[in-house]
Amino acid sequence: MVVDAAATVGIDIPVYCYHQALGPLGACRICLVEIEKMPKLMTACTTAATDGMVVHTQSQAAEKGRRGILEFLLINHPLDCPICDKGGECFLQDYVFQYGAGQARFEEAKIQRHKEYPVSPYILVDQERCVLCQRCVRFMGEYVGEEELLMDGRGVHTVITNVPGIPLTSPFSGNVIDLCPVGALLSEPYHYRARPWNIEREDTYCSQCPVGCSSSVTGRDGQVVRLEGRPTPGQWGWLCDHGRFTYDFGAHPTRLTEARLDGEPVTVGRAAQVLGQRLAAVVREHGPDAVAVLTGGSHTVEDHYALRRFADEVLGGSRAGLVKPVEADLPLALLGTFAELDQSDTVLLLGTDPYESAPVVHLALRENVRRRGLVVKALGDRHLLRDTLAGEEWVVEPGGMAAALAAATAGVSEHPDARLAAEGLAPADESLVRLGQALMEPGALTVLWDGREQDLAPALVALARARGEHPTRVLPTFGPRNWLAAARVGIPTDYETSRRILMDAADGRIQVLLLWGADPVRDFPDGDLAARALERCPEVYFGGVFPPDGAELLAGVLPTAAWAEEAGTYVNMEGRLQTGRGAASAPGQARPTRNILQAVARAYGTPLRKLDEWDPYEGTVDDRLVLPPLEGSVRPVSPPPAAESGFRLISGLEVALTHDPSEVAARTKEDRPARMHPADLADLGLLTGSGPVELSSGDRSFRVGVRGDPRIPRGRVFVPRGLRGVPINRLGGIAVAVRAVEEVASR
Amino acid sequence: MLEALKGIASGMKTTLSMLKEPRDTYPYPEKRRELAPRYRGKHMLAVDEDGHELCVGCGLCEAVCPAHAIRVVAAGAEGDRTVSWTERYAVDYEVDLIRCIFCGMCEEACPTNAVRLTPFNELAAYDRRDMIAKKDELLAPPVRR
Repeated sequence: MVVDAAATVGIDIPVYCYHQALGPLGACRICLVEIEKMPKLMTACTTAATDGMVVHTQSQAAEKGRRGILEFLLINHPLDCPICDKGGECFLQDYVFQYGAGQARFEEAKIQRHKEYPVSPYILVDQERCVLCQRCVRFMGEYVGEEELLMDGRGVHTVITNVPGIPLTSPFSGNVIDLCPVGALLSEPYHYRARPWNIEREDTYCSQCPVGCSSSVTGRDGQVVRLEGRPTPGQWGWLCDHGRFTYDFGAHPTRLTEARLDGEPVTVGRAAQVLGQRLAAVVREHGPDAVAVLTGGSHTVEDHYALRRFADEVLGGSRAGLVKPVEADLPLALLGTFAELDQSDTVLLLGTDPYESAPVVHLALRENVRRRGLVVKALGDRHLLRDTLAGEEWVVEPGGMAAALAAATAGVSEHPDARLAAEGLAPADESLVRLGQALMEPGALTVLWDGREQDLAPALVALARARGEHPTRVLPTFGPRNWLAAARVGIPTDYETSRRILMDAADGRIQVLLLWGADPVRDFPDGDLAARALERCPEVYFGGVFPPDGAELLAGVLPTAAWAEEAGTYVNMEGRLQTGRGAASAPGQARPTRNILQAVARAYGTPLRKLDEWDPYEGTVDDRLVLPPLEGSVRPVSPPPAAESGFRLISGLEVALTHDPSEVAARTKEDRPARMHPADLADLGLLTGSGPVELSSGDRSFRVGVRGDPRIPRGRVFVPRGLRGVPINRLGGIAVAVRAVEEVASR
Repeated sequence: MLEALKGIASGMKTTLSMLKEPRDTYPYPEKRRELAPRYRGKHMLAVDEDGHELCVGCGLCEAVCPAHAIRVVAAGAEGDRTVSWTERYAVDYEVDLIRCIFCGMCEEACPTNAVRLTPFNELAAYDRRDMIAKKDELLAPPVRR
């Protein structure tokens, strides 16, 4: 299009309705340009640029055309810039200033419409300010595929509205706030909060899931008040509402803001001093193996670097590990990128529904399907495809994904590794052979995987080797959000290392356990082991932003600074580094991890030297981690667990529920996290389609709110991992009894 | 000795001759200087005849202030309890009168004519914190006695 061609050479043509991701429409007419040999002014956003075309963007005719269009747009536009949140960052203001007439000629009364009425808990619509560019309607309807915003009325009475009585529920609805070029769609939490000139707006990343979307954070008076998407080359800058509206987590009432020793509040300096002296005494007496560090993978790369050096140099070689909510390890050699996803011919969703676990990736998949016919396959223990993402899916028994993948690969490929992985498994049936054929198609394959089922790692390696020179890439949708930072600095990220550390702690071989942002009781797949470790270990210290489960067992707590309170680097699920800057100040005594660890190291007697001179980007290529080559042998995948009667528990990761506690995002937080087939719910007597149930296995049980979802196969109950008060990692086993109960315990 | 007396006499001559001249100073506070009608002194926030504040908290005064003396925090009215003539109003409006250079650009920038500089210029306090004029203070414009 002419407007894009002009942009590449730095010529700015005003646009409202046009957005590259949405394609041309030509609704607003503000982009009028004069093209030689064309009799009338043309819209630059709907005219394809061709060879030899001569376009005048500043000619008298073009300027007159733009001025006229702006005058039309302003006929019914209210003069309420002083109270409009968009004032100062509004394209209507800017263009009227630049191209518009100084005086209005329209003297009749302006049409009055709804002002600032909510279409969702987060979004306000001001119909008077709307220029009817339809960006929002097309984004929701075409791009996201959830038609929740629509145009109502005809001619001058046309308005943007929701379906009457039905608020927007899409997790992508917040993007219309960024898309709106004028002040018609406003963020309710940001309403009247600040103006563009009295804020700190800094480039950052979204910290709520491993996608790490580029964004801009807005701070005012030391508090974060807004998060916006920020387009970067190759990315449109979309955010999901879970990330966009969780920006206030740093100010949440449960946030740690003071240090504690044995339950008593102390200063951070005092706590660091005591911890340092304590560690020195323990290491002197029992050696460095009596201390272990577990990171929760939510701190920055710089913090992880300090943590690793603290373990290596100060403690003299103590073990460090990562607590993640899944049991499997991704062979890092297979780590893919979003650019590779955009080039892939086939995508396999492996146990993960990106709409829930990495929402913005769902948008990328949908765009690829619409734009170039990306083929989507899904293999999981529940239905992973949705109305907005079509493809072919295979639903297997719980715990059977690895066996199905290995058998499907071996059913089509003769590669020795594929054979080895499928050793002892039942041969692929017709349907699995079809899956194998789809996966063995030449061209690039990207797998989205949520890290459940340990045996999927060898199955994926076998698949990659069987595919030979055709690239096979894996994008891990599991958290913790910055777990690859641990990989960047050399902290082991595998399940086995952290399990050993917790076993040793549970057996009393570890005297001091240092948890840095880690919440093993809630997150670690073996919750019982983690709980035992915390109980048996004589001293457990915690550094982080929110208190972990089992906080009463902690010997000491150190509050650390959170995202947007300090500059820091983040590694997202494709291994790409991104640095975010701070826009707010840490509350209370919370301090950057580096400062706390340095204070502990001084008290220990071994200060860390040259901590700030390390560059997280050193040795990266294109800001991305350098991956090791794919090595190692493939082990046979164990057969799927025998089918049992009764309900079976399946799980997964859901950003909507596992994001940081936030008062803003709590407006739409689901309080019935578990899901079952509606028919199963009816069988349980929950005829309203939702309600509290008790899940039990052996002598363990807990209560959880459940809602109906036809995408969960019958006889299964889906409970997301990592939720506070929903300890599915302590239930043990996948066979559960489900019983409807009167009321649910607080989540 | 004589030289010194001569010097004093010459000095005193100038001093004594000035006694007859009109005075440039005022015996403040008994007598006060007449100020120009558009003299720019302390700020006020205007209220319309219904008692609604004119200020909508747009923050343009804050943006234009060359001395960064103004701080505005806006909010939306809760329910029907409108404070200003529209839904948005200023919760906090502070002028740091020590920083202020009384240039009047806030008055000029104000789209609702809410901020005005009054001719009140008696700005003194024992504590510098008292020199930060809060909203209540600005809504009750001081009158020069």
